[in-house]
Amino acid sequence: MPRSIKIGLSVLSLLLATWLTWVTPWSLAAPQTPKDGLADLIARYDSSGCRECHEDIHQQWEQSHHARSLMGMDDWIIMGPYLKGGPLAIKDPTKISAAANFPCAKCHLPQLLDAPDQAAAELAAAVLADDKATVRKLNIGCVVCHGDKAVVHGRPEPGVLYGSRDIPDHPGRPVKKSPFLKSALFCGQCHGQGPVLDFENPIQCATLYGSYLHGYIPSGGGQTCQDCHMPAANHYMPPNFNNRPETAERLRQALPLEVRAMAYRFQPKDGDIRPLMVVRTKITSRAGHRVPDG
Amino acid sequence: MTANAPDGKTFFHAEKIYMPQAGDSRGSQMVLGPDKKLGFLRDTSIQPFAPKEETLEISLPPGVETAELEVRLSYQPRPGNVYPLHQVKRRVSLTR
Repeated sequence: MPRSIKIGLSVLSLLLATWLTWVTPWSLAAPQTPKDGLADLIARYDSSGCRECHEDIHQQWEQSHHARSLMGMDDWIIMGPYLKGGPLAIKDPTKISAAANFPCAKCHLPQLLDAPDQAAAELAAAVLADDKATVRKLNIGCVVCHGDKAVVHGRPEPGVLYGSRDIPDHPGRPVKKSPFLKSALFCGQCHGQGPVLDFENPIQCATLYGSYLHGYIPSGGGQTCQDCHMPAANHYMPPNFNNRPETAERLRQALPLEVRAMAYRFQPKDGDIRPLMVVRTKITSRAGHRVPDG
Repeated sequence: MTANAPDGKTFFHAEKIYMPQAGDSRGSQMVLGPDKKLGFLRDTSIQPFAPKEETLEISLPPGVETAELEVRLSYQPRPGNVYPLHQVKRRVSLTR
């Protein structure tokens, strides 16, 4: 083969490799089993690659509590107190595990439960050091909902994302349709039915889905979580408790209050006169679940 | 809920808490925190399609014929973290 052709082919190969790297932010290979600790877990579930094509949705999500699932209201690390005292507290620093110390991860960071204990140990160190910069990087991102949690009839396929339609040539990973994404149970996987007995130390946090299932639906309710909390697939998913005026207004609309009051002189028997004020209050709920919950 | 006489003196104050009340399924003590809660002892939270209605009969103090009533509803996810929702004021009088 002439030298000029060899050089040309080499240059072409280099250009092709560079172009592929630029246009495909993720590896086309199936994701590997996590080998390392927290940094690897963060990298594997980093959603920034989705932003290139899904800018609006990513911005909406970034403002939601899903984007900061280990941070409480007003930006504090929720696991801090639990690692220091109580049944989830660290008793032996050499034996930290997700199951023993982070059962809350079942909903707040499900990817941690499949990671090596090293990740849990490093997360514990970050929590105890109040390292918010690191803890903020862990969240319920795109890959969690559109991957790990997207299928319950069987298991999600490795290397596949799920959405509202099939997109075989989707950049990075192929997308398959999962109707489950639009069901209330999709949200209910994490937004709770009550006691969680999976772990040696049982926990109970959100019971929203249980309330929806056994209170709202039997009473005639017909909307899904997504109908109210993700209209038109908006990924902001209110309430955002860090936006106090917005949350207060949302709750105000969800729980209208009526007050009636009158005063009169009650006379149950002759001469027994009792001036009374009678107050009637009525709080109506427009929510699809109990308020408050938790 | 607060009721004041015309001189501003409070003669009635009451509070109702609406919330699910969890135990740990080992006794009758209510517990706090997801690491301890397991099951419910009682649930007074506001339920779908089940309005919360309260009727209170409040005795007016001697000589008080007019009262200022204030009813507030707030959401408090954590101690000290209060989201005011409704504040309703009513004036009632024995004089018509």
